[in-house]
Amino acid sequence: MEQIIVNGLYLGAQYALIALGLTLIFSLMNVLNFAHGQMYVLGGFVTYTVVAQFGLPFIVGLIASAVVLAVVGAAVEKYLFAPVIRKSKREESTMLLAAGIAFFLDAVILLVFGEKQRGVPKIVNGVLNWDFRIIMPYDRILIGVLAIAMIAGFILFMQYTKAGRAMRALAQDRVAAELMGVDVARYSMLGFALGAMLAGLVGGLLVTITGINLGMGGPTSIKAFMMIMIGGAGVISGAIAGGFILGMMESIGLTVLAAYGDITYLMIFASLMVFLAFRPQGLMGKPWG
Amino acid sequence: MTQMLTFRNVELYYHHVYALKGVSIELNEGETVALIGANGAGKSSILRAITGLRKIRSGEIHYMGRRIDGTSVADIVRKGIAMVPEGRRVFPYMSVKDNLLMGAFTRSDKADIQRTLDSVLHRFPRLKERFGQQAGTLSGGEQQMMVIGRALMAKPRLLLLDEPSLGIAPKLVQDIARAIVAISRDEGVSVLLVEQNSRMALSISDRAYALSTGTVVLSGDSKDLMGDDRIKAAYLGGEL
Ligand SMILES: Nc1ncnc2c1ncn2[C@@H]1O[C@H](COP(=O)(O)OP(=O)(O)OP(=O)(O)O)[C@@H](O)[C@H]1O
Ligand SMILES: [Mg+2]
Repeated sequence: MEQIIVNGLYLGAQYALIALGLTLIFSLMNVLNFAHGQMYVLGGFVTYTVVAQFGLPFIVGLIASAVVLAVVGAAVEKYLFAPVIRKSKREESTMLLAAGIAFFLDAVILLVFGEKQRGVPKIVNGVLNWDFRIIMPYDRILIGVLAIAMIAGFILFMQYTKAGRAMRALAQDRVAAELMGVDVARYSMLGFALGAMLAGLVGGLLVTITGINLGMGGPTSIKAFMMIMIGGAGVISGAIAGGFILGMMESIGLTVLAAYGDITYLMIFASLMVFLAFRPQGLMGKPWG
Repeated sequence: MTQMLTFRNVELYYHHVYALKGVSIELNEGETVALIGANGAGKSSILRAITGLRKIRSGEIHYMGRRIDGTSVADIVRKGIAMVPEGRRVFPYMSVKDNLLMGAFTRSDKADIQRTLDSVLHRFPRLKERFGQQAGTLSGGEQQMMVIGRALMAKPRLLLLDEPSLGIAPKLVQDIARAIVAISRDEGVSVLLVEQNSRMALSISDRAYALSTGTVVLSGDSKDLMGDDRIKAAYLGGEL
């Protein structure tokens, strides 16, 4: 029991970070970023390159992932999404663009990093064993704690800094935010960069545990979208709830349902469909929290 | 009297349909000027042209001796023009506090911002009681006070108000009107007031322009217009 909860928390923290980035981008720009999973993969490969290839400390790799993805996110917003949004009033234009970027990033990752599964050496050794009730390797604990600290940092940033407040304002009423003197173009770019950076950070965190490979992009995007369907799109609390709920369900599934074969995701999809039929806006569904 | 804001022959279009057809108006420092007129006359379009929310097609807008059409909204705010938009546009999921702080977005002196915040809360004590509450859960009247307070947080020299009486109980309209008078008196801000409630607008303004389908059809001192038969027939008839 304790083991299931701890595993769920560990997974949930990673997932919540991914969902936060996706929901931030959605709420600021009304863009469904189908390339979010690819951004996560790219972040993983950057950390891999810095740590395993260049032999630099893990923290340097993590920072590199954050920086690279922030730059990629900013560029994608400024040179692709912003012009498309300006020229086209149709929602599907940005969706097609996002899908295109996903394929493009897949191709770039294949070209630069190849198709092999990559990982980095364990950053800390040893396993916590609490009376055989909770068994967890120390590196997982560290990564879990880092992820939770990043979630807390993100919330504090959005709640208490001027830039965070401006982004919330922008998400809630673009025109009013503009009238307060918020430079909409600049903050849209900043928000996209921040969202992409979160994806990259999770990639960097998880490359130490599960490793990374090209094929993980698409499925990660799907999971991210499931989380915001559970929690409600465009809401911080929803992204966090969705992340932890999915993490918990996976953890339960892997322990309890494993006996019946690989049916965890089948069950999760089925219950998600039933849930959405009753509550299409998700748990916390509203424009922005 | 120094001229603060001048429109020279301003034309504004939405796609191919005009909303302003050669509008010339002016506002002097310290004045409260009202814009009245029926739905679709172009009142809000004038405010959108000033703030840069909408580009004008031709003509010129001058503010404090400088031409400002073509300036970005953010720079307009920095020049001291704050707008309370039509329909209030609160940030519904933000606290009253955060809404007010957003009003000071272009300012950076923390102590100075705090002083403005104190004076706004002093002016609207209701906002102090609701300080931590989500703005979307305030009543219409409270929201209106909050967005006026939010505009004041920018420490403006010119305040643009778009229909502050819209959708508000008659008793509260009085309060809002009094607040506008007090603000222009205490803070030394000039006010451009758009109103459908012409009686209220004329009673608290120095001068007024009446608009119809994108042109100024009448202008003058508000107390004269209040007695003008054409104004009475067109705008004061059924109201209040
Ligand atoms: N975004 C828009 N797109 C197209 N036409 C618009 C837009 N906004 C306003 N208009 C048109 O421009 C004209 C002037 O509109 P404006 O909003 O300035 O009127 P108003 O005097 O403020 O009216 P109201 O009292 O109803 O607020 C109207 O005919 C209106 O239909
Ligand atoms: Mg209007």
